[in-house]
Amino acid sequence: MEIDDLKVLWKKESERFTPKDKAELESMLKRRSTSIVSRLKRSVWFELIFTIAGGVALLLYAITLPAGPLGAISVSVVVLFCVYSLYYFKKLQLLNEFDPANDNLLATLNRLIDSMKSYLKLYKRSYAVLYPFYFFLGLFFTALDYGTEAFISRISRPEIIVALILFAAAFFACSTWLTGGCLKKLYGNHLEKLESLLNKLRTTHDS
Amino acid sequence: MIGDERTFINLVNEHQGLIHKVCNMYESDREGRNDLFQEIVLQLWRSFPSFRGESKITTWMYRIALNTAISGYRKKTRKVKTEDLNEVHLNISEPYGNEETEEHLQQLRTAIRQLSDIERAMVMMALEEIPYEEIAETIGITQNNVRVRMNRIREKLRKQMTAWRWKSTI
Repeated sequence: MEIDDLKVLWKKESERFTPKDKAELESMLKRRSTSIVSRLKRSVWFELIFTIAGGVALLLYAITLPAGPLGAISVSVVVLFCVYSLYYFKKLQLLNEFDPANDNLLATLNRLIDSMKSYLKLYKRSYAVLYPFYFFLGLFFTALDYGTEAFISRISRPEIIVALILFAAAFFACSTWLTGGCLKKLYGNHLEKLESLLNKLRTTHDS
Repeated sequence: MIGDERTFINLVNEHQGLIHKVCNMYESDREGRNDLFQEIVLQLWRSFPSFRGESKITTWMYRIALNTAISGYRKKTRKVKTEDLNEVHLNISEPYGNEETEEHLQQLRTAIRQLSDIERAMVMMALEEIPYEEIAETIGITQNNVRVRMNRIREKLRKQMTAWRWKSTI
C-alpha cells in the first residue's frame, strides 16, 4: 500500500467528523484552558490571593493587640506571608514567560521544558529555604513562651542540642522528600514525556 | 474585539476539519477529543492577535493545534465509559458504509496510532498534502530531515498495512 492509497483513505476519514456550530465555537472561547501552564497559573493565583487576604486580615488583627508574644507571632506570620507573596509573584513571572504556541514544535518543547524546570527548581529551592526558616521560627516562639533566659539555659544542654539537630535533619529530609515526591507526581511524568519527545526530535534533527 | 471574535469564529468554522483531524489523531475517546478540541480553539484564540498572515492560515493552525496536542496539553486519566468501549478498544466510530473501506480505515487508524506523537504529526500533514517545506517549518527541523523521517514512516505504515492485508486474505 502506497502513501497515495493512504491519502485516498485519509480523505474519507476526514469527511466523517460532526461539525460544531458557530454558537458552540463561540461558547468555547469563554471556557477555561486546561493546558498545564494555565492550570499552574490558576493555582498560583489562588495561593497568592489567599495569602494576601490572610496577611491583611492578620495585620488588622495584630494592630489591635497589645505588645507581647501574641503580637510578635502575628507580625512574624505577616512577614512570612509577605515573603510568600513575593515567591508567588516570581512563580507567575516564570509561568508568564511561556507564550503558548506560536513557535514551531521544537522551539515550543524547548521553551516549555525550560520553563517547567525553572518553575520546579524555584519550588524546591523555596522549600529548602522555608523549612529552616520554619524551624527557627518554632524556636523563636518557644523562646517567647519560656522566657529568653529559661529558654537559653534549656537549649544549651547537650542532649537538647543533639535532639534539636536530629529533629531538624529529619524534618528537613522528610519535607524535601515529600515535596520532591509531590512535584514528581504532579508534573514529573509530563516533563519526562516532553523530554522524551524533544530527544526524538533532536535525533531526527541530527540524522 | 467583537469584530475580531467574529472573524476568528468564521475562520475556525471554515477550517474546523483540521482541528477535528488533530483531535482524532491524538485522542481515542470522544470526551478526550472534545477536551482537546476546546483547548486548541482556546490556544488559537490566544494566539490570534499575533497572527500577521506571514504563513498560510492552515500552517498557523496546524502549528498551534499540534503544539497543543503534543506539548501543552496533559491528558486526563479517565475511566472508560461503556459507550466509549467501541471507540477505545475496537477503534470503531460511525461506519463509513463500504465494509472494505471501513476495514482499511480501521487499519490506517490503528497503524497511525502506533507511531510516536511526532511521527503522527508528520504523517498527518503529509496525508493532507502539505509540502515538506511547511512540515519542516511546523516541526522545526530541516526539509531533508522531514524527507528522511517520512521515508521511515512510510516504510513502517506500508509494512503494517501489508501485513494486515495479507492476514485478511488467509
